[in-house]
Amino acid sequence: MTAVDVFFYLLSAIAVVAGWRVFRTDSMVRASFFLLTSFLTVGGIALLLAAPYLGAAVLFMMAVEMMVMALFMVMFMMNPAGLNPMNMVHQSRFAIGAGVVAGVSLAVLALVVRFPRHPVEPSADLISRLGHELLGDSMLIFESAGVAIVATMVCTVVLSSASGRYGNATSGSRPPGLEPGGEPAGRRPDSDDDADGGDDE
Amino acid sequence: MTLPAVLVVVALLVGIGLYGALSQQSFVMLMMGLELMMNGVLLAAVGLWSFAAGGIPKGQLLVIVVLAVMALEMAIGFALVVAVYRERQADTTEALETLRG
Amino acid sequence: MSAGSFIVLFIVGLALVAGVYVVAVFDSLAAAWVAARRPSGILLLPIRRAAFLVVQQHNETERPDEAGWRLAPALYLALAATGFGLIPLSASFVPIDGPAGIVLWGAMEALAIVAIFLHGWSANAMLPLIGAYRFVALGLSILLVSMFVLIAAALPAESMRMMDLVDSQRELWNVVRQPLGLPLLLLVAMTLSFWGPFNFADSADLATGTASEVSGPPLLVWKLSRAAMLVSFSALAATLFLGGWLGPWLPGPVWLALKTVLILAVLAGMGRLAGRVSTERMITAAWVVLLPISFLHLAWAGVEALS
Repeated sequence: MTAVDVFFYLLSAIAVVAGWRVFRTDSMVRASFFLLTSFLTVGGIALLLAAPYLGAAVLFMMAVEMMVMALFMVMFMMNPAGLNPMNMVHQSRFAIGAGVVAGVSLAVLALVVRFPRHPVEPSADLISRLGHELLGDSMLIFESAGVAIVATMVCTVVLSSASGRYGNATSGSRPPGLEPGGEPAGRRPDSDDDADGGDDE
Repeated sequence: MTLPAVLVVVALLVGIGLYGALSQQSFVMLMMGLELMMNGVLLAAVGLWSFAAGGIPKGQLLVIVVLAVMALEMAIGFALVVAVYRERQADTTEALETLRG
Repeated sequence: MSAGSFIVLFIVGLALVAGVYVVAVFDSLAAAWVAARRPSGILLLPIRRAAFLVVQQHNETERPDEAGWRLAPALYLALAATGFGLIPLSASFVPIDGPAGIVLWGAMEALAIVAIFLHGWSANAMLPLIGAYRFVALGLSILLVSMFVLIAAALPAESMRMMDLVDSQRELWNVVRQPLGLPLLLLVAMTLSFWGPFNFADSADLATGTASEVSGPPLLVWKLSRAAMLVSFSALAATLFLGGWLGPWLPGPVWLALKTVLILAVLAGMGRLAGRVSTERMITAAWVVLLPISFLHLAWAGVEALS
């Protein structure tokens, strides 16, 4: 059991436990950061598996993504700080069954299938070979990914701009009612014209 | 650290992610389940590249494409969640059960 | 853990402690200069302040996210220390070596944003929360600028390894080859360590924002981490643009220390001399002004590397 093995088992245990805690914790911000922990440990395992650029890229991108995820959790979840216990699940038994079936079947495949043995040599020019591949043979894939990213940026702006065709931000983005279908809870932003803190009389 | 060990970890991550994606009522929690599954896929790609594919550059390219797809899926997913909320004030899958109109 | 890694940890720790002390002294000097006051007892002031904070009582709020609140400063300090460990200290010594050193540095920056948000969020109070949100909005915008600056610095070296980046500056320092880089990187450094004119997380109009509900030893750790991050960024700026440990007569680490202290002096001065920009304007400026400038900078670096 070398040090690399110890690190690998530690990181994978943290990845799985953190992934589990995502769905069992009350605080939504903590859920996003548990998911971040899971991603960071997978990035660490990638570093151990002699993929230096991929591990660093996973660490970098997942930190930013999970930060944005935390902001959206606070926006959309009713219990962002976990001050109350919460359990918002549906079809729980079916979901547990599906998860167990998927996990067990993949684990059985992992242990039974005979994969080819062709380990990577951790040489220094893995990154430069990746660069040559990205901008050489696989230039079409790389550029399509670039175009897809631009298309996504345009789509997100169209879908969620403040005065967009999918709902005006000021009238649409209101808190839900205290009873279903009721008046939106909380202060109405356009009803306080004299700025004294209460609704206009 | 062998390939079966890495793939067993992947299986666990995908199983937990599938449980989350199927069981959560809220859109953003559902997306977190999907992200966890893609986390497993990422690890599987890196593991297979490292042990079974001999470090070919196209393996790293696959991982980069999966990473980009994760980011794009999150971006569009959140934009859709925001748009759906503005239209229908719905933030759980339950609230979108009935077709309107 | 071998004895070698303990020695490495010790060296990094010692360098960071010295750097933090230098930051505190320079900050007091800059404050005295701006106030046209004669500085007195400057050298002992940081130690007295630290001792006061150690014995001060730590504050509690109602239902904070206790784990996050106490973990966030430690996480920030660990990120600053890891970032410092990525920097080559001499011709043959990098505490944390790796083929993708500069990408790891970017990862440290991104995780620092998470740590600062956690610090503001966990207090369960209004002003820290506002500070955390303002900082996240700006930090994520500035992270793009930082990425372009780092990529442009790696272009002449044709490698992402920090040692190669320093080696590529043997004939000409990057500050001459890529003139826009050092100002942009210093701006990024001040934003991500929320320092001076770009202090959005702990700003004075929020009564020190994310640190407003913190006192005692946690506040000391937070201030230490912030200064340590500034030291790491200065060392990075010295490595990427001023040639790092390169220099004629003195040994490598001494040159690196001198260049780092020079940049720390600049940052400490700017911390007291320039007023804070308003948040909305800064976000607009980051996307509309700074991002195109960093595109230009990257294009310039690319053209220069190809010719």
